[in-house]
Amino acid sequence: MITPLLLAALALVLAGPVPAFMGRAAWPYRVPRAAIALWQSISIAAVLAAFGAGLSLSYSTAGQPGEPRFDPSSPRDLTAALVLALTAMVGIRLLWSAGRVAIGTRARRRRHRDLVDVLATPDGLIPGLRVLAEETPLAYCLPAIRGSRVVVSVGALDRLDDGELRAVLAHEQAHLRARHDLVLEAFTALHRAFPRFVRSDVALEQARTLVELLADDDARRRNGSLPLARALVALAGSTAPEAGLAMAKSATVLRVQRLADPEPNSTLLAVTAYTAAVLLLVVPTFTVAAPIVRAVVDAVN
Amino acid sequence: MPTDEKAPRPLGDLERLVMEQLWAADGALTVREVHERLSGTRELAYTTVMTVLDRLAKKQLTERERAGKAWQYKAAAPREEMAADLMRDALDRAGDRREALVRFVGQVSDEEAALLRDALARLEARDG
Repeated sequence: MITPLLLAALALVLAGPVPAFMGRAAWPYRVPRAAIALWQSISIAAVLAAFGAGLSLSYSTAGQPGEPRFDPSSPRDLTAALVLALTAMVGIRLLWSAGRVAIGTRARRRRHRDLVDVLATPDGLIPGLRVLAEETPLAYCLPAIRGSRVVVSVGALDRLDDGELRAVLAHEQAHLRARHDLVLEAFTALHRAFPRFVRSDVALEQARTLVELLADDDARRRNGSLPLARALVALAGSTAPEAGLAMAKSATVLRVQRLADPEPNSTLLAVTAYTAAVLLLVVPTFTVAAPIVRAVVDAVN
Repeated sequence: MPTDEKAPRPLGDLERLVMEQLWAADGALTVREVHERLSGTRELAYTTVMTVLDRLAKKQLTERERAGKAWQYKAAAPREEMAADLMRDALDRAGDRREALVRFVGQVSDEEAALLRDALARLEARDG
């Protein structure tokens, strides 16, 4: 009876307090790659722990091996079946959400790409670059397995010099190369799988910021920090502010401040985060697997 | 480089040219009419134009209807309307739909713009 309780507790801690703590901390921004790995591990571990809790609870209420027959008149067996059904429902919801996000995202992106292809002119100098005749300064990428696009508006080109444009393109191509969109898609799917009152926005929000930092790091390694910071300020300073956005410091401010004050990249911090990520995955997996393995070994003996 | 050099660029180019003809036209155009309008500027096979128009119809960028024996094509929406659609999609910050595009920069408030300039000034003093 102790295993399901421990796993349920672990799932709850990983779903609530841990993300809240990570969301308030500043250290993830110093080691974005390790922080993303840790976030992924926290999310997967939370899901695994929840499944493990459900499975082991139904297992522990279902009685001893040797009396495997399901008895509908026994409350114990009914409880086990109910717990199992609930667990399965969570699993189905997750799969459903992942499928919907994957299909919806691709459909919207395909439509957007079709529009870009007929409305934007390719720039002969850089392959894959499309220039949109719009005054609003805008730069983004449309990821795809084949035929990804980098879109820049005329308004953005007007505000950027050559070096700054190179920095922007390096940033976008870093997103495309590393398929950051898939990372975000996974977080989005998980986010949408849970009802509004259970989920928190922290994981998805921080994942979005962290992939921007990763792309920034790639761009600054190629062209230096200054052109990238200038490009960020040139493009951000002129967009209209959105009501309600000013409450938290936006990712753009964080990114430029980070370029201005590069904190030493802490190897220790990164190693700690990676270690925590591995441990988080190993512990619930073993707790779930151990009783099953034991049962199998018993059965064989 | 994932920004593909291998994709059928010429066909994509043609799609844009064909759409421009349709936007410029008063009404719907037959394949032959589109072909005629384009062949002033470049050497094109009739079947190529047909293929491109068919692709555009599949992408729901054009609409077609029968006119006697031939198909007539027109743009599904005026250029401005499609551009507005695209911009709305690109600028959509309503959280839930943001994942489709990865944006270089977000929107900032006036106070944040001041913070940005401060940070940039510090960086320029150091590196510039």
